Amino acid sequence: MSLAAEAFVSQIAAAEPWPENAALFQPLKDDQVLLSDCASSLAVQAYLRMCNLPVQVCCRANAEHMSPSGKVPFIHVGNQVVSELGPIVQFTKAKVVGCVSGQGLSNGPLSCKRHLQHCAEGSAVFLQGHSLSDGLDDVQRAEMKAYMELVNNMLLTAELYIQWCDEATAAQITRPRYSSPYPWPLNHILAYQKQWEVRRKMSAIGWAGKSLEQVYEDVSQCCQALSQRLGTQQYFFNKQPTELDALVFGHLFTILTTQLTSDELSDKIKSYSNLLSFCRRIEHNYFQEHERPGLDPLSIRPSLM
Amino acid sequence: MLLGKHVINTMAAPLELYCWKGGWGLPSVNIESLTVLAYAKFAGAPLKIHKIANPWRSPTGSLPALKTHGEGSLSQPNKIIIHLRKQKYNADYDLSAKEGADSLAFISLLEEKLLPALIYTLWVDPKNYVDVTRRWYGENVPFPLNFFLPSRMQGQQLERLRLVRGNSRLEPGEELEKELYRDALECMNLLSQRLASQKFFFGDSPSSLDAYVFGHLALLLKVKLPNGKLQQHLKSIDNLSQFCSDILTLYFPNDGRETPGSKISTQPHSNDFDNEPNKRRNQVLSVLVALGAMLSYALLTGILSIQQVHPQGALGSSKGHGAGTHDEDEEEEVE
Repeated sequence: MSLAAEAFVSQIAAAEPWPENAALFQPLKDDQVLLSDCASSLAVQAYLRMCNLPVQVCCRANAEHMSPSGKVPFIHVGNQVVSELGPIVQFTKAKVVGCVSGQGLSNGPLSCKRHLQHCAEGSAVFLQGHSLSDGLDDVQRAEMKAYMELVNNMLLTAELYIQWCDEATAAQITRPRYSSPYPWPLNHILAYQKQWEVRRKMSAIGWAGKSLEQVYEDVSQCCQALSQRLGTQQYFFNKQPTELDALVFGHLFTILTTQLTSDELSDKIKSYSNLLSFCRRIEHNYFQEHERPGLDPLSIRPSLM
Repeated sequence: MLLGKHVINTMAAPLELYCWKGGWGLPSVNIESLTVLAYAKFAGAPLKIHKIANPWRSPTGSLPALKTHGEGSLSQPNKIIIHLRKQKYNADYDLSAKEGADSLAFISLLEEKLLPALIYTLWVDPKNYVDVTRRWYGENVPFPLNFFLPSRMQGQQLERLRLVRGNSRLEPGEELEKELYRDALECMNLLSQRLASQKFFFGDSPSSLDAYVFGHLALLLKVKLPNGKLQQHLKSIDNLSQFCSDILTLYFPNDGRETPGSKISTQPHSNDFDNEPNKRRNQVLSVLVALGAMLSYALLTGILSIQQVHPQGALGSSKGHGAGTHDEDEEEEVE
């Protein structure tokens, strides 16, 4: 098959409706997954649920190495593999765009054209569902992106710091969990290798000199900013949830329900009551009615209620 | 307690800030230094500013650095800004809590999306690095350091990019460039949408977010890069480029003219070797002297001797090959 034809086929694949067998891959949730990976995975699941796109959660010990970017989670949809929340949001949007532009396609093989038109008709229903941030104006969209980076820049980095750079947490929780699927010499090698890599990243971004207290302070600052932004609204941008809500929920809920060596991290969040009720709201609206065994990490965790 | 601090501050000598010196029509050539300088101007902090080109002379070993009274030296821009804020030099005083939250979010956006592309375009892109960045640091960093500091800085920046992207095999190339630039262009568009037609991000007076945005964009606006895709995009966004040049003219009125001025003022300090016209003349002179010495030695010892060649012989050498070799034999006699 020529390259152009392949590109065309993948265009059609992107324009196809969401398949039944779409799967989300993450590390083993009982004894391998770490706080930061679990948070990212939950964020993607929340996003897909908000879009009403069903996905089967598959736990694999080597999920990290299966992912195209080396980061979990990733989704396998049709014949495409996409990792991390940002690209997944783009991917679900591209599906809609593909269908809409398919309508305007006038020249080309008749069968393909008919296929695209069919798809465009079929997708009209979930046009709103696929792109959660369509209702926002330009300034709001800019703010949404900025707050998403705030969560990545501060909460995610703080999670990584506490996991790998706080020696007590690293020794008691992180290294044993990270290396649980591997046999003896390999488990130590891989865990220390990962720890070394994260520590180098911390020093590159200037976090190496921070003490644990300062990191908690940063988390607190970030939560305060989120709390201020949320105010008394239902979601960050009024009544309609966006990818920002999914991301914030993924991180906050995971921190709140994960047992670490100390409770200080979750205590920081608990002092913001509107963030707590925000987490409860999303858990209630998107995770409780349609709970199936093995489908989400919430089933093994204590609920917030 | 606050009052006590205030009194101590006004009594004590001003804080000292060390930052990279200016170039390319900017008060400094370094993103972090520019951010701190802009914040200090916005907050009206009376700092004693040392603009240097030797990071080894900074109290922390890196630039920028703020020497504080009793709290050691700070080197990260956000720590410096927080310290200045504590000393009542607060440019964010008028912001509401929500605006403060927005500042934090947009600063994160800058660091996550724009900074990697800036590092790439200044330090990794081979053409830009060789023609602009390395050249500037090579010319301005003092003598023995300038041989290894630029390449060491490049190594650090590349390492940082690799760790931040989480890909240890990352190689500079089109793929990476495309990815980074896509994020950066989006970030600039988002900033432009947020700024809209306002003078500063939160109304009429500048805040710390304005300092960060200015610090990140000013370099891109002013440096002339051979590979200027990012630059072109920024220049096409009217409100953002206007925002940067407004801050430059309002808060750094002298620095636009400093570059030619500083070049002239550095001349008396530096040796004759750095002086462009003298350098060229000296080079020509020394080559001529050496040539003359060699020639006279050759003539004196008889390696080369000059003989009168008959005009017919010279004509013959241009016509026939045999005659030419004959002439050469005549001209050069090796003893």
